[in-house]
Amino acid sequence: MTRILDPTLSDAAAPASLARAPRPHTLRGLTVGLLANGKSNGMALLDGIVGRLRERHDIGDVVRAAKNNASSPMSEEDVERLAKRCAVVITAIGD
Amino acid sequence: MRKVKLCEARPIRLTRPTAWRHYRAVVPRSGIDVGDPWEAIEACYARGWTDGLPVVPPTETLVDAMLSAGPWAPGDVLLHEPVRDRAVTAEKAAINAVMAGCRPEYFPVVGVALQAIGDPAFMLHGPATSTGGSALMVIVNGPIAGKLELNAGANLFGPGARANATIGRTLRLVLLNCLECCPGVLDKSTQGWAGKYSLCFAEDEAQSPWEPLSVSRGVPTGHSAVTVFAAESGHNVLSHGTRDPERLLTGFADALAGLGSLSPGRSVIVFAPEHAQHLRRAGWRRLQVQQWLYDHAWRSLADLKRGGKVEPAFYTNPQLVDWLYRDSPGGLPTRSFVPADADHIAPADEAVRVHRGLGPEDILLAVGGGAAGGHSAFFPSWSRGRSVPFVTKEVPV
Repeated sequence: MTRILDPTLSDAAAPASLARAPRPHTLRGLTVGLLANGKSNGMALLDGIVGRLRERHDIGDVVRAAKNNASSPMSEEDVERLAKRCAVVITAIGD
Repeated sequence: MRKVKLCEARPIRLTRPTAWRHYRAVVPRSGIDVGDPWEAIEACYARGWTDGLPVVPPTETLVDAMLSAGPWAPGDVLLHEPVRDRAVTAEKAAINAVMAGCRPEYFPVVGVALQAIGDPAFMLHGPATSTGGSALMVIVNGPIAGKLELNAGANLFGPGARANATIGRTLRLVLLNCLECCPGVLDKSTQGWAGKYSLCFAEDEAQSPWEPLSVSRGVPTGHSAVTVFAAESGHNVLSHGTRDPERLLTGFADALAGLGSLSPGRSVIVFAPEHAQHLRRAGWRRLQVQQWLYDHAWRSLADLKRGGKVEPAFYTNPQLVDWLYRDSPGGLPTRSFVPADADHIAPADEAVRVHRGLGPEDILLAVGGGAAGGHSAFFPSWSRGRSVPFVTKEVPV
């Protein structure tokens, strides 16, 4: 038998950032973050979703953030702002 | 039956024994046990570890040989993709290089090409995943190109040369295997193109009228380097009827200004030696060619609108507004834009020149291809926006 090596990262430690946050049971009154990915219509799509969420779930405040470039990570400031203020964050690509 | 002559295979030697050889003893390597090479190839297919072509089974011996030919320890991170937080170590790169068919001596070029596409400025997440479907172009300069027998001549972008085929292929395998750029899942290329299998070549420095591409980008003369670019499929620019530089370049400018790929993005032009000689005879400098091409590669804003190339969202993006109006007789209009401006063709739009790219430095010039034939190539960037820059890095000695 010959051993061939795994070319994937499946044996690498999972990034800590992938740990899931606790899920809320309701959206009523919660602050919702919107993260557009930097494409042309991402925020337009998210605004449409927020409209529905207001109607159906009576959500609280809305905090908006958009990446400058879809190819880049989001800025640390935006990460902190969304993490501090929001109970849930919705992200979208809108091209 | 005709006899097939096989080339004598060069032996693979471990060239640089180092202390990290003990690495295997302390960090067990994950993998699978197989009975023979055919089973190994099929096992790689079964696990989705290929680009669709068969791979060389990455045995520990071959991977060690690959690692030993580079300056990196197995755990050194050669590429970190920040959007999805994935780190590709030298060992993972070596496994994929073996699978792609690389010889160990290619590994310094493979490693530095991975570092180049991992440069934060390159923003790899875009070209790796976008509907644009770009290929990772690697242009090699300097003495290492000859040493590895990288093709700079006939059939430059086509098959035939092991180093070209396998170095470029390694980058794609790393994207598939390490960054999980599975077609249709994370890699959303609408169509993609064949260059996504592999797109690596050397510049024919002897045929160039100018300093090597790498030197023009700040690398010392005589040093080896790679330059990477996220490229759409190439456009053949054929011209056999003129030696006059302006007439010759008119065909290139026309290709650059095609509405299909017109954008504020960058361009790569690879001049065939024949075309390069015309420019050499005329004494045209690199910057002069870049400037002429930039000046002449434009369409009117009215043309862009006629072709549906201006989207309402462009007017909410200051970068794109700057691109559209940077060569406008009246400068940037002072009034506010409304979405309907994207469709409405005003008389003044006929006089607004929208160039490909933002300046002459956005047009990268290289030389390569067969000695005969007036066939050069233009490769556009992959996005309707600015896309990603060229990145050049020196190959470690």
